[in-house]
Amino acid sequence: METNLKSKAFQEFSNAAETLVNPVLQHWKDQGGKVIGYFCSTVPEEIITAAGLTPFRMRATGSTGTEESDAFYSSINCSFPRHCFNQVLTGDFKFLDGIVCVNSCDHVRRIYDNWKRFVPTDFIEMMSLPRKTGPDQVGWYTDELAMLKDKVGKHFGVEITDDRLWKAIKLHNETRRLQKKLYELRKQEKPPITGAETLAVMVAGTAMPKEQYNEKLRELLDELSGTEGPGSHRARLLIVGGILDDPAYVKVIEDQGGLVVTDSTCFGSRLIWVEVDENASDPVAALAQYYLTDRPSCPRMYGEHDNRAQYVIDMCREFNCDGVIGERLIFCDSWLVEHYMLGQDLKAAGIPMLKLDREYLTSGIGQLRTRVQAFLETMGR
Amino acid sequence: MLVGGCDVGSATGKAVVMKDGEIISYVIIPSTTKPEVTARTVMDEAIEKAGLSSIDDLDYIVGTGYGRLKVPFANENISEITCHARGAHWLSPTVRTVVDIGGQDCKVMSIDEKGKVLEFVMNDRCAAGTGRFFEAMARVLDCGLEGLSSLSLQGKNPSTITSQCSVFAESEVVTLINEGMELVDIVAGLHNSIAGRLNSMVRKVGLVEDLALTGGCAKNDGLAKALEEKLGVAVKKLPQDPQIAGAIGAALIAEEKLNGQS
Repeated sequence: METNLKSKAFQEFSNAAETLVNPVLQHWKDQGGKVIGYFCSTVPEEIITAAGLTPFRMRATGSTGTEESDAFYSSINCSFPRHCFNQVLTGDFKFLDGIVCVNSCDHVRRIYDNWKRFVPTDFIEMMSLPRKTGPDQVGWYTDELAMLKDKVGKHFGVEITDDRLWKAIKLHNETRRLQKKLYELRKQEKPPITGAETLAVMVAGTAMPKEQYNEKLRELLDELSGTEGPGSHRARLLIVGGILDDPAYVKVIEDQGGLVVTDSTCFGSRLIWVEVDENASDPVAALAQYYLTDRPSCPRMYGEHDNRAQYVIDMCREFNCDGVIGERLIFCDSWLVEHYMLGQDLKAAGIPMLKLDREYLTSGIGQLRTRVQAFLETMGR
Repeated sequence: MLVGGCDVGSATGKAVVMKDGEIISYVIIPSTTKPEVTARTVMDEAIEKAGLSSIDDLDYIVGTGYGRLKVPFANENISEITCHARGAHWLSPTVRTVVDIGGQDCKVMSIDEKGKVLEFVMNDRCAAGTGRFFEAMARVLDCGLEGLSSLSLQGKNPSTITSQCSVFAESEVVTLINEGMELVDIVAGLHNSIAGRLNSMVRKVGLVEDLALTGGCAKNDGLAKALEEKLGVAVKKLPQDPQIAGAIGAALIAEEKLNGQS
């Protein structure tokens, strides 16, 4: 990615976001380390880390097409699972030692069905994620996580003790705190890091062991603190949506002059804004409580729209945003109605919103540019 | 004060020359595969038609349309959404909703009393409801673009065409032809289907009168009538060729820039 940042740490993050297996992860593999791929940000990475494994958030970076996978899907399936499963079929995910799936949405859950049936894999698990976020569901999810913990432990020959879990929770909370510090820097009038660059840093965090990641992130924070960016943007924007893992998409928006200063996405702020309670009595229950209830939710969850909208409005105020860009993958059921309702809520709060549909691989850049430019013009920018 | 607006669209290039707030010439040409060439050619023709000697006579030029980044002589570029809104508002100040139907996309803008865009929607990577759609249908029905409009107005019992995808609509039309349906009814049905799609886009930004059509397809009276029936309101007639609304808007913005108003 084109960048003005001279930082070596950032360059490593940027490279990691542009590929599946980055050098740090490769080194881990070379040392005999194991990697577990997981779909959706509601799978607790902490359990995987506690087992001495490295969690890897699934994405389809580097995919060039869906010729292999289209036979398994229909033309109205989301492009993310189609690209992702295409890479499964072409062997791009052979570096994984196991997979954890979740019924995050019907498109993604079908990756599990296809993977299990057509691609031999030693360890592939499916978790059941509730749709509601109340105490009863937290109880259910606690049981699901306990089962996952036992299965991972048994398969990989590790006893995942409470001590190990607490250690992992503290390590991952530290990642969240560091990433939040990076977000804090973007509150400046001239943020030292762009939205596209921040996304690269966030994506990299889902693709390497957290100890090494935290170390590099501290390095980047040291380099950036006390510095300023060019400040040549026309407007400050918040981006809201789902699995946005492609910094190049954000860069198209920023090249039009709309600097993305914060977000509500599941590779972004929603992962880090709240921490897992380190003072709870049971680590598994604490994880269930965090992943299901405490963290800003995704539209997959029922009855939470008002809280999600309020989160976006609060973030806009906190980061002094002029407008909001909503992005949605075409055929994404979860985000179908959400954007329309959110647009109404933002309008009432006096915040303009541009709604964009996109394909998983960034395409149609001409129309994207026109929309973003026109959006900035409507704001008088 | 002489200003120019150059709208390089996917199907046609449009240029407008304005002097002290009045249009003194305009030209529309088919787009070439090189946007720079389209821009240069159409602007040169408009300059000649205005009785000027060269592009240097213009004090400020704004480029717009798909090729707006490729207008080498433009002082700046503004999106066609902003330009169409401004142009339609200048042509008819009571307009509050603009439906722009161009060669490869359609957009609906809601605007305020100054012609500023409040909200807009744009169709997604799809030819439905665009010039390309009508061109494809005119080819299948062998009636020419002008023929489409007049045939549509004669339809008494419009066929139901459910597919709004250009490719599938074409298959539906072929089926209807082979079932022996009246040509006029098929054409009227096509216009109804596109008007239905535009109607839902208008509902997204909220219908506020007056509503005007701009872009090349705004010249299609059959479409205007079908849209009026769907929306339940009259389409405001613009006093000037609606195809140049974007170029007019660009020229108006050029004038404002010179006057330091924005």
